[in-house]
Amino acid sequence: MNRTAGIKHIRFADAPVEVRDPDIEETLGVDRPWVVLVWNDPINLMTYVTFVLQKVFGYSREKAEAMMLEVHNNGRSVVSNGTREKAELDVFRLHEHGLWATMQQD
Amino acid sequence: MAFGLRRPFQPKGPDRFAVNIGARERAVVKAVCEDLLGALEDPAAEPLLRRVYPVAHVTDATIDEAYQEMVHSDLVTSRRQALERIIASTQEKELDREQLEAWMIGLNTVRLVLGTRLDVGEDSPPELEPDDPDLPAWAVYEFLGGMVDSIVRSSAETL
Repeated sequence: MNRTAGIKHIRFADAPVEVRDPDIEETLGVDRPWVVLVWNDPINLMTYVTFVLQKVFGYSREKAEAMMLEVHNNGRSVVSNGTREKAELDVFRLHEHGLWATMQQD
Repeated sequence: MAFGLRRPFQPKGPDRFAVNIGARERAVVKAVCEDLLGALEDPAAEPLLRRVYPVAHVTDATIDEAYQEMVHSDLVTSRRQALERIIASTQEKELDREQLEAWMIGLNTVRLVLGTRLDVGEDSPPELEPDDPDLPAWAVYEFLGGMVDSIVRSSAETL
């Protein structure tokens, strides 16, 4: 299975938005990791959400299913974390699959 | 009629999947994909496409705008490619894994748009009268749910 469909066209690293003043970054606490959330929605099938989490992140079926159930029961679940660039890439891959994903700084 | 008797998608090996659907189902698949292909970049269809291009940050519009600027055209392109791959393979008796993935993403996208239009909620589907104008759209929505579910099961079994 192609795990990187669509990604190759994006150059996150040199996108203009990523140019920031290092001093400002430090005062804003840029070390705090970003988290990616998947939100509950009434359209996507539970089996589909589980499978997409397995496919995009390489999670085991058990782990992906636990996250899906948390989304279903609690309205949302943290599915990954890391740098802003990683969060953007993860959100993009989830959006490609039609999941309702957002990112925020933890 | 294949439904109820055979799974719509049946693994035949790690990279081969039988498509057990009839001519009418294939015609529906093709028609809905062609419809969505036309709507993907139609500004008039924008309200129906909000689930196809969701916000990436709930509270910070600047971060969301930066993200959208970066990825929107890629999201459009990958959706268009998936729909085109489905349209090109609607008559196939077997699909390889990449084709099956295009079917999964493409048909799920159609479902998202149709579900948005039908305002699907947690309690859906509603009780509908036989002459309800939304009945055909609900039938297609449910049909696509069965298709996506079958693709997911076949794909997951052979991961």
